[in-house]
Amino acid sequence: MEDILEKLTIAVKKGKADKNSPYPPDMKGKDGADELTAEALKIGFSADEVLQKALVKGMHLIGEDFSAGRAFVPEMLMAAKAMKAAMKHIEPFFKSGSVKQKGAVILGTVQGDLHDIGKNLLGMMIEGAGWKVIDLGADTPFEKFKTALEEHPGAIVGMSALLTTTMVNMKGITEKIKAMNPETVVMVGGAPLSQDYCEQIGADFYSPDPQGATAFLDQLVS
Amino acid sequence: MEKHFTVRLEPLGKKIRVPAGTPLKDILFSYGVEFPCGSKALCGGCRIKVLEGEVSVDTSHRRALEKLGLSDPWRLACRSQVTGDVVLEIGQFDTFILADSTPFRFRPRAGYGIAFDIGTTTLVAQLVNLQSGEVVAVETGVNPQARYGGDVISRIEYAVLQGGADELTRLIREKFSKMTRRLLCKVKEVPPEKILVAGNTVMHHLFCGHDLTPMAAYPFETSHGGECCFTAGELGLPADHTEIVFLPILGSFVGSDILAGILATGMAESEQPVVLVDLGTNGEIVVGNREHILCASTAAGPAFEGTNIRMGMRATTGAISSVMVENGTVRNHIIGNEQARGICGSGLIDAIAVFLEKGDIDLGGRVTTEDERLHLTPQVYLTQKDVRELQLAKSAIASGLQILMEEMGISAGEVKNVFISGAFGTFINLENTRRIGLLKFPEEKIIKMGNTALLGTKMALFEEEEVIRDILEKTVHLSLESNPRFQDIFAENMIFT
Repeated sequence: MEDILEKLTIAVKKGKADKNSPYPPDMKGKDGADELTAEALKIGFSADEVLQKALVKGMHLIGEDFSAGRAFVPEMLMAAKAMKAAMKHIEPFFKSGSVKQKGAVILGTVQGDLHDIGKNLLGMMIEGAGWKVIDLGADTPFEKFKTALEEHPGAIVGMSALLTTTMVNMKGITEKIKAMNPETVVMVGGAPLSQDYCEQIGADFYSPDPQGATAFLDQLVS
Repeated sequence: MEKHFTVRLEPLGKKIRVPAGTPLKDILFSYGVEFPCGSKALCGGCRIKVLEGEVSVDTSHRRALEKLGLSDPWRLACRSQVTGDVVLEIGQFDTFILADSTPFRFRPRAGYGIAFDIGTTTLVAQLVNLQSGEVVAVETGVNPQARYGGDVISRIEYAVLQGGADELTRLIREKFSKMTRRLLCKVKEVPPEKILVAGNTVMHHLFCGHDLTPMAAYPFETSHGGECCFTAGELGLPADHTEIVFLPILGSFVGSDILAGILATGMAESEQPVVLVDLGTNGEIVVGNREHILCASTAAGPAFEGTNIRMGMRATTGAISSVMVENGTVRNHIIGNEQARGICGSGLIDAIAVFLEKGDIDLGGRVTTEDERLHLTPQVYLTQKDVRELQLAKSAIASGLQILMEEMGISAGEVKNVFISGAFGTFINLENTRRIGLLKFPEEKIIKMGNTALLGTKMALFEEEEVIRDILEKTVHLSLESNPRFQDIFAENMIFT
């Protein structure tokens, strides 16, 4: 019985979305996250069990590999696709309230910056860790963060930038978010960022990789 | 003790002591000389004039010289070694037009002109006799703005965020005037009618004194990208009637250096599609023919220049510049034949290809050796992170090319030629660029063209303004990131196949 959750964990970690997916080559023809999730729910696992014991675990494993350099962007994206295929089956339970998410995280690449792959990877990891993600996309001005915060009170805000010339826009946005509510947690990341810069602009957390951010979030609710 | 000789390089005036037997290629490469045909003794681009001393030639070298119509005292640097004290004149800049394999057609005109290439790092200017097409004098220099950052983003940062715009403008104009004045000395009687200047968007804006704020953030659109004209007096030059024109940019981060490159490749007149790639930090890419031209810049990053690589360095003495496998053992070529201190971009591409073949890097880019290091020498190695940096850089270029070719509706097979510009481009091993998935074209289609910005600017001296206008009208700039499939394409191209 537990076997199917292990299989699902591996399917997510290795990025096997569904049976027809050609990736990864060594899992050709095998059931993917889509089929395995449906099967697990059918044979009696609760949605919460599937989420915690398989999906979260699978994403955690790929996240660890990514942090250690053993996996890279393509593997992460494939894992995220597998997770999304599984989430289709879990989402109805979020809506009905039988599975609780840990909280909401609002993500956006900062105003003036179009580079959003890093932010997207983080979004997948956070979602895979059991959080609700509100992705505002790239080139995100304060107003968009403000609207999203009004819709999701208490949400955590994550901002990214790839250029030193756009990174500076984080300062104004962070200040305005804190002015709205000093309790709002703001995390920042991206290639030119550092712990120093995070402190300098009054943000609460910085991590060089998505794994660190996920750990930080989990610690907020533990 | 090993025997050493002195090599003096003209017109640089540099004196270097090197061990007997040092290939001239190693010395000249570290002084920025380019080897357009990839040291195959085919193009004559690396020709040198032996002013004093002896540089011996063997039979194949003699034959190559004859084929190029060169006789004593000319030699090909790529085939020569140091066997005694010598004084050499670097012929490259004097002969680049002739050395180029594409026939350079020009309509003779009266008088002189100057072509000026303002790079982020280096500056080159040539005084051209417009009657004969001959380059009369050359000036080279280092961009004095470099002290405020090596790449364009740090220049923008200094100009926009730290209020240094005026200082950067002053520095480059001063250096421009200085170099131009030296060239003007050579033609006192008839000052040149025109000085054409090319550079990337940031160099254009800083030289012209335009605000760089729009280039600091998305959508990176400037309304001051047009050509910019100055009188000699405005730039502190004595030549009354000389007009100075900074050529227009093509859009966003694709500047007039690329516009000149398009001119140099003959793209705008070609029926079959032609590709131009500049393998620098901004990785500009152009795909087009006489109907339609598409251009884009890619965030390739500085990996090809040896930055962001643990033991990366510029292509200077002590850098591993190429790696190959001979009889199962890895062999490095080190610039200057010294002990290896690090690795430059061309060496990095070779090393990745070699380790892929050996199976020390898997197709996903993971390093599979026990200590997660890839040793080239006991001191010099690559790390897992270096491989990741290379994957990002090569995918940025490959994805950019894929998107532009898809937009043009053409396949790699339909492309007539792929021109690689830039000093780094001339030194890379083409087979390995294919192996790592950087340039997915047959080797015979790829042409290393060296400084296409300078060549194109020089060609523009002979052309009417319509030729430039024609290119501008045909060219459309695309933002790669706004392609909805960009993320998937970018991820796919990171994988080795």
